[in-house]
Amino acid sequence: MKFYFHIKVVFLFLILNTNSYAQNQIVADLSQENVKISTDFQGAKILLFGAYDGKKGDDIIVIVTGPKGLVTVQKKEKILGVWVNTKKVNYINAPKYLSISSNRKIEDILNKKTQRISEIGLNNLKIRVQPGIGVINEKQWRQALTRNMLKSNLWSINENSVSLNKDALFRSFLKLPSNVITGQFEVKILHYRNSKLVSQQINSINVSKSGISAQIYNIAQNYSTLYGIFAVFLAVLVGWGSSLIFRKV
Amino acid sequence: MYYYYLRNNYENLMYIYLPIAEQPIHSLAILGVGAFLGLIMGLVGVGGGFLLTPIMMFLGIPPPVAVASVANQLVAPSVSGVLSHWKRSNVDFKMGTVLLLGGIVGSSIGVLLFNFLGKIGQLDLVIKSSYVIFLTLIGSLMFAESLRLILRTRKGKISRGKLHQHNWLHGLPFKMRFRKSKLYISILLPILIGIIVGILAALMGIGGGFIIVPAMIYLLGMPTSLVVGTSLFQIIFVAANTTILQASQNQTVDIVLATILLLGSVIGVQIGSRYTNILKGEYLRLILSSIIILVSLKLLIDLITVPSDLFSIIISR
Repeated sequence: MKFYFHIKVVFLFLILNTNSYAQNQIVADLSQENVKISTDFQGAKILLFGAYDGKKGDDIIVIVTGPKGLVTVQKKEKILGVWVNTKKVNYINAPKYLSISSNRKIEDILNKKTQRISEIGLNNLKIRVQPGIGVINEKQWRQALTRNMLKSNLWSINENSVSLNKDALFRSFLKLPSNVITGQFEVKILHYRNSKLVSQQINSINVSKSGISAQIYNIAQNYSTLYGIFAVFLAVLVGWGSSLIFRKV
Repeated sequence: MYYYYLRNNYENLMYIYLPIAEQPIHSLAILGVGAFLGLIMGLVGVGGGFLLTPIMMFLGIPPPVAVASVANQLVAPSVSGVLSHWKRSNVDFKMGTVLLLGGIVGSSIGVLLFNFLGKIGQLDLVIKSSYVIFLTLIGSLMFAESLRLILRTRKGKISRGKLHQHNWLHGLPFKMRFRKSKLYISILLPILIGIIVGILAALMGIGGGFIIVPAMIYLLGMPTSLVVGTSLFQIIFVAANTTILQASQNQTVDIVLATILLLGSVIGVQIGSRYTNILKGEYLRLILSSIIILVSLKLLIDLITVPSDLFSIIISR
């Protein structure tokens, strides 16, 4: 396995050196394009590697974005001595996974304005609040979203995690936590030279449930009553069986 | 083609991914918890669900999944319990049937309530506060009772109260004769008890033995020998109804979690029931009630202390 990987990297390198490939192109591949959540899933670590036509001082930023959808932020207030969720704000297109990796500090690669324009950075993402509901002090809710997503490991900033080699090869490990959401993940690799985008490539990772775990989940969703009956049947069987077994011992 | 197949931790092979809770959990820890509670059940005769659900929540299982999966696992020890009581002819099936009619109505109401509370985002709060109320109540009553028994036996006095009293409850209509329990009472009362226990069972993931047993003794006036078997008989159906409804309405039954728990508890119950004479019942109850009080304190502290972050997120799947 490792052998093939090396061959492929050398091959990419050769392509670039012989100039048969278009100039200023970035080429990347992933060690794993399909992540299967099975019974023994504890998160995944995917190797992203590739080659780029670089010069000294060039930078690479890798942005992995998971499926986008509804994320609700709740706020607790004290009512009769007990902390109760009282207010909420719905973010309708929040990425349920986001990791931003780079070879050095992002603020050293791009200035604030460029970061904002190209939507790089947790606060520069355009995440919309559900329309129709007025939100007072939206900033604190947005901060709470970022803070909690970072805490759950679903969002992350990994500066210095992309390693560059001889201005031609790069690699980085992408970590998906065990609570990762299933769906299509976009891996965007950006190559910057003097804060200007030279080239980019987009790869994708598909995260899905598989094996017994997926089957159980699907049955529970699609044949929920049957699933419930089966769960009861199993429990009755174990209860009855145990009284049979232990009576004889 | 996959080049590298890397996993985060090679050493944690004992972790198992729960398909409905959508998180990995240490399988031996869950098996151990199941066995420990089974042991208590075997030793003392109570203490299944109402300790199991809070412990699951402490281990990080989302409360809705904990409640529904514990209801599922409760079916198993109830079945084996009824079978052994049946052999000793300690089950009043007629009374059990009347109770379970109420229980099925109650647990159906409970599941609907559960669904509604989930939609308005107050489910966790209701589950946790019901636990605080009931665990404190049961824990302190049990603590006081067992302490009184211990002190009394030390002094050498053993007294018994009246088992069966007639009161206004016996004047209600729709009377029915229960030969086994030697009772002639209105069926409204057992149905009402069944409904209340059913609602609590669905909301809290309990069998409700700790409510139904005293109710049968003190409100219905049933003979003590029949109480445990009959309550277990009705718990089977209430827990089964709760499981099926939770599965179909809320999709919160984690069959993997429930199976590991019930395997543990089935083993624990058998070991426990073999060593019932190691410690006197009242000492066991004293220990159990202390555990219950500690658990309810922990839940109460979680509810009243200032959260480290006032904001929390819900990621919809």
